[in-house]
Amino acid sequence: MAAPMVETADLVVAGGGIVGCAVVHHLAQLLPPQTRIVLLDRGPIAGATSGSCMGHLMVTPDTPQEYAFTATSLALWRELQQQEGGFDYQPTGALYLADAPEDVELLPVLQRQFRDNGDRADILDPAQLRELEPGLAPDLPGALFYPGDGVVLPMAACASMLRHAQRTNPNVQVRPDCAVTGFATDGDRLTGVRTAQGPIATGSVVNTAGVWAPELTAMLRQPPLPIHPRAGNLVVTGHHSTPIKTQLLEVSYLRFAHGAAQVDPTRTTGDPGGHAVNMQPQTHGGCLIGSTRQFRGLDRTLNRDLVLRSLARACRYAPGLRHAPIVRTWVGLRPYSVDKHPLIGPWPPVRGLWIAAGHEGLGISLAPVTGRLIAQQIAGVPTAVDATPYLPARFLR
Amino acid sequence: MTDAERTAVEFTFAGAPVRAWSGDTVAMALWAAGHLALRRSSRDGAARGVFCSMGVCYDCLVRVDGETLRACTTLVRAGMLVEPGGKP
Amino acid sequence: MNAAADPGAGRVLDADVGVVGAGPAGLAAAGSLARAGLSVVVLDEGQRAGGQIFRQPSPRVAGCGAAPPSHRRGRGLLAAFAQSGARLCSGVTVWDARPGRLWFEQAAESWLVRCERVLLAPGAYDRSIPFPGWTLPGVVTAGALQIMGRAGVVPGKRALVAGSGPLLLPTVAALLGAGVQVVAALEASPRSSAWRALPGLLGHGGRRAEAFWYLRKLLGARVRLRSGWTLFGCEGEDRVQRALIGKVDAEGRPRRDTARSIEVDVVGAGFGLVPSIELGLLLGCRSRCDPRRGGHCLDVDGEQRTSVPTVFAAGEVCGIGGAEVAIAEGELAAAAIVKDLRGVPVPPALAVAAARERRAADRLLGCFPPLPGLCDLATADTIVCRCEDVRLEQTRAAAALHGRSLRAIKVGCRAGMGPCQGRICGPSLQALANGLPGQPADLPVVQVPVKPVRVQTVLDAPRG
Repeated sequence: MAAPMVETADLVVAGGGIVGCAVVHHLAQLLPPQTRIVLLDRGPIAGATSGSCMGHLMVTPDTPQEYAFTATSLALWRELQQQEGGFDYQPTGALYLADAPEDVELLPVLQRQFRDNGDRADILDPAQLRELEPGLAPDLPGALFYPGDGVVLPMAACASMLRHAQRTNPNVQVRPDCAVTGFATDGDRLTGVRTAQGPIATGSVVNTAGVWAPELTAMLRQPPLPIHPRAGNLVVTGHHSTPIKTQLLEVSYLRFAHGAAQVDPTRTTGDPGGHAVNMQPQTHGGCLIGSTRQFRGLDRTLNRDLVLRSLARACRYAPGLRHAPIVRTWVGLRPYSVDKHPLIGPWPPVRGLWIAAGHEGLGISLAPVTGRLIAQQIAGVPTAVDATPYLPARFLR
Repeated sequence: MTDAERTAVEFTFAGAPVRAWSGDTVAMALWAAGHLALRRSSRDGAARGVFCSMGVCYDCLVRVDGETLRACTTLVRAGMLVEPGGKP
Repeated sequence: MNAAADPGAGRVLDADVGVVGAGPAGLAAAGSLARAGLSVVVLDEGQRAGGQIFRQPSPRVAGCGAAPPSHRRGRGLLAAFAQSGARLCSGVTVWDARPGRLWFEQAAESWLVRCERVLLAPGAYDRSIPFPGWTLPGVVTAGALQIMGRAGVVPGKRALVAGSGPLLLPTVAALLGAGVQVVAALEASPRSSAWRALPGLLGHGGRRAEAFWYLRKLLGARVRLRSGWTLFGCEGEDRVQRALIGKVDAEGRPRRDTARSIEVDVVGAGFGLVPSIELGLLLGCRSRCDPRRGGHCLDVDGEQRTSVPTVFAAGEVCGIGGAEVAIAEGELAAAAIVKDLRGVPVPPALAVAAARERRAADRLLGCFPPLPGLCDLATADTIVCRCEDVRLEQTRAAAALHGRSLRAIKVGCRAGMGPCQGRICGPSLQALANGLPGQPADLPVVQVPVKPVRVQTVLDAPRG
């Protein structure tokens, strides 16, 4: 009797969020078009973190390495807009707003960081700020405008990446509602994936499961990946209600979002959580309002207290927001990595296993460069940026 | 409000005077005056108006004295300024 | 929203019972509760108590004798309610809730009701099925055309009513009462449905009188309710001017060869009702799906208690059944709450009556099963999600790439992400996007606010 037909693939990408979609997009561009690539997700494509986040494309200038990484990724975003479009790309720039006097002192510090990387950012006095954004409170002491940031609609971007990938390589398969249930191995070598829709024989798997990436590697009895869910509560207002046209952040946001966590991220209780204003105009005229951060496991119920506090801060900056109708609120889970850097590269203990996860709040910004980096490593070609700081093997030492 | 307490009121829609009865919703008053198109839709710009008339669909959004409200759940008031909803 | 240190600038109402909805169920319950000595606050989205079914004709159409016999019962309920001492808050939007707490907005002010028991009687809304031209001004739900007819504000002279189920009749009658010509009344279900419904109509005193009243109205105006016909589409320049009508097969699939065009000024279309369960879901109440009762409805025990012990539900939210069911369940729910708070046993006759009304309604509505073929009315470029202008072909592309669940289709094309929060497109979205007519919809995910409210309302919300 003939053996039952088992599906085969050259690569399986497990996790259909923005990172998985970007990985597929770049694999399709870099590998020959007969390469069989299967993207799986246990739920919808873009149904988890990438369907419940903000769409900030953000350059972080803290260090030359961070700057190069984020700026390269934003260049790839602009390339995708040229290639494919369809994801509400808005090159709004970003306004870093000061409120308290100590915030004002941060503006030149941040400006210098951009300048040190050969980029530009402009400090605006209150009059210039009002001219740029008449909807802001008249008593704000100033801001820094960085023109390089942008806004996208992440779930539409996932679809754009996959559409482009499937046109480049007709052997790209996208399979929502297809959970990974286990792996097949031969010694230290990966030989296949078991899924809710049947087994797939493959020698290479990229774990792009974000918050759930540790669950996947646990199926291979690997030590736990240091990625932990960090919840964010979001609010969106109705069409034509946004009082602003530029993306806004409190300048203290940088410290808040990119500083090390002060609490144990593995605990599901005990983190009081924090917030810093991030507001994004949407193409239909709504306003997306974040952002809050709190470790509490996979709990996705709204934290009304944090929402209230962040809304009050948002109204401090843009008082017209008080009249805007709130259409929806929701919670998304960021994949927080304990050393604040994503994990991108091979996982040496299991040959054929790759990881691209742990981007916390920068997943949308960094998805394209992550996809390119993994694809270049898999293809064995020189990488566009230095891969070393992001190699997952750093956690094996 | 009993019917006997209802009085004639006048307000403006898109600059034009509209006569109505107190106790009417803005949607009723505008229909009675023949205004069916209350706004342009956000993305394709097509005319839209009352659809459910019971506060569910949010298709009849108009600006009443600057606030975006459902015409079908808002009562008329003398002198109110009603503008079409959608892009200002 | 309730946990911040700031107490919130809004105002607080304390009561034994908070009732959501002043339709038949809410009025019956609130009156009974208040007469039993409990303090009651009733929150109603409408501007006048009575809900959609007992909406009273406006002075514009007074003198036409436009009210059917059930309105006498409605007037009785309203009068009893008015004398009961229950407090009514009209024109409000309830936007957040937890057991014992209801937050609402009224005229841009933020309020909280603190109560021992919550009774959900929010009713239902029209089930819409997308067809070409359904976004044109002048094309409204059957319920909306009924409201406009009773208010005497229908512009133009020629109205068309189409859809399915017993609620088309009151719409036609309201139009006739307002002096509007009904150029066509189209019932998509086959004629056999009406015949099957006949014993249920004739065997129930209240319904028999109601049915005869409507039939007399229709006969008097020479309006014929055509079974097996529906509306294929609407056309016009910035408002509806023409309707395309034709025959459908037994499953509701349009027979395009029978299509013909008629001139119209307004169109009302309604394919049954959808229970308004959103607040119940937010409160954590268990639901179940019963297509005969309009899809997902709240699950209650024999005394109208939901799976959340302090939350009760009555009327359409427990499944579409009409005013008689709603009144009986409202009275039963009130008695069960009085038992909870005062230790007075529930009179067994109330439970018997509610169960009897529910059985009768189930039998009647069972004669008008959903018609899956009506999904074929929409064409590739028909808007499905009215809020976000999402067309059928976009929902199909989203389902093909992102997945077949409601969540997948939403994230794939934004359908259901607008201010109606998916109430209008949600019930038929999956069936349309997946090309699977008759596919039941996933349970929607409900978040705060259950209806849009202003940021300031949320900031002012009393904590607690």
